[in-house]
Amino acid sequence: MDAIALQEVGKTYANGQAAVRRLSLTVRSGEIFGFLGPNGAGKTTTIKMLLGFFPPDAGKVAVLGGDPRDPAVRRRLGYMPETAWYYPFLNVVELLRFYGGLCGMGRTAIRARTAELLRLVGLEAAARRPLREYSKGMLQRAGLAQALLHEPELLILDEPLTGLDPLARIQLRDILLMLKRQGRTVFFSSHELSEAELVCDRVAILRQGELAWCGACREVAGDGRQNLERIFLNMIGAAPAVAGEAR
Amino acid sequence: MGGLGQRIRSLAWLSVLELYRRKDLYVALVLTAVVLVPLSAYNVFGVTGVVRHLREVSLLLVWLFSILVGISVAGRQFPPELENRTIYPLLAKPVRRWELLLGKFLGALLASGSALLLFYLGFVVVAGLKQGIWLDAVTVQAFLLHLAFLLVVTALALLGSLLLTPAANVTLCGLVTAGMLLFGGQLAGLAREAAFPANCLAWLLNLAGPHLDFFDLRQRVVHGWEPLPLGVLAAVLLYALCYTGLLLGGAAWLLHRKKI
Repeated sequence: MDAIALQEVGKTYANGQAAVRRLSLTVRSGEIFGFLGPNGAGKTTTIKMLLGFFPPDAGKVAVLGGDPRDPAVRRRLGYMPETAWYYPFLNVVELLRFYGGLCGMGRTAIRARTAELLRLVGLEAAARRPLREYSKGMLQRAGLAQALLHEPELLILDEPLTGLDPLARIQLRDILLMLKRQGRTVFFSSHELSEAELVCDRVAILRQGELAWCGACREVAGDGRQNLERIFLNMIGAAPAVAGEAR
Repeated sequence: MGGLGQRIRSLAWLSVLELYRRKDLYVALVLTAVVLVPLSAYNVFGVTGVVRHLREVSLLLVWLFSILVGISVAGRQFPPELENRTIYPLLAKPVRRWELLLGKFLGALLASGSALLLFYLGFVVVAGLKQGIWLDAVTVQAFLLHLAFLLVVTALALLGSLLLTPAANVTLCGLVTAGMLLFGGQLAGLAREAAFPANCLAWLLNLAGPHLDFFDLRQRVVHGWEPLPLGVLAAVLLYALCYTGLLLGGAAWLLHRKKI
């Protein structure tokens, strides 16, 4: 079964601007999928449709075989937003208790999972500090912990590398690879082409709401003349300008 | 429906925790104590019947601070979620939007209701020390109706927070609350006596506006009058429930349609 299946999906905003056009895409179970594109390409709109925040105007969105607006589907997916300033009056343990409650987890399960996740994301030492004292990178880690809390089958990450220092990026990469080994599916949007190339099985490039390219990273790496960055720049139509600047 | 109670509890817990971790409530409690303790300790200016004045001032403060706490707690349930983008991970969890609204509503009510209880405890202690009457039926009724008042005000501020900016919402809710408390009882008379078109406006407000004046039993408490007949009490409580239901229904519709 595909973890994500988009069929001819379209979304037009009230001002008439088409955010996503005839987007068809499948993400297979157990793969790490990179969703790339410049700002305004429609990545976030697509992610919001995947999370069931609003339905598409055209086409069909299926997540884990169901409608993402169904809470039973959302129980099986985890989501980490690009930047969220989590409740400043809580500490990360309380934050995870709150989200665990929303996911219907029992107290013992939340406690055990919290200890495990704080170790994983490296927030053990700051566990009792209020979130208002956290740096942006620490908040990103807290965000990752809440997304992983209920052991989702599918993880959707929106620009997860924002605000992370090099060490945290390596840790995140390791976590993503660990999730893949566990058979989970990861879908993440990013501007960081080098990171996407390192961890993704496949990537899709979105340009002005349309799918410009989709393929396996292995194919790109195997071709000496190509790399993801070159493909990306070609697909978004920025290659000549960049080449000109380089000269 | 499995886990609905747990989800609502988690959402409500967050609102209560926020109120007690912010300092606003403590400021209100300290201010109340600063006014009431000296008033209860001395017979100010040698005024006779000072107990009545003390009760009046105490209840005025209780009402003032409960309005401030009620509107501010309910009014800040949704705007920070949108501003800080925490609405996204929240709605990505298996939570329906009406559950989110209900959880936020109950949390805000629980937070401002518990603050109200603290204010009334202070009032009962002060009045009890001065008068020797610790708790009477009319005070219990006053507390119950005050709680019903908070029910309506919380729903009103929640609805407003989905329509207006936080500052506009607090201002408008404050005006509506104060206006209906002070003039709600005179609207029927105004509708009969005023000239067109003021009479139409008064008639409309009298019919559709939240009659918050129904919940104010201060005069009965201050003057030691008889408690309300139980039928009247029940009717006012029912009115609060119906009005709250209408406001929450509107808020649920708005939240369902809101672009996140």
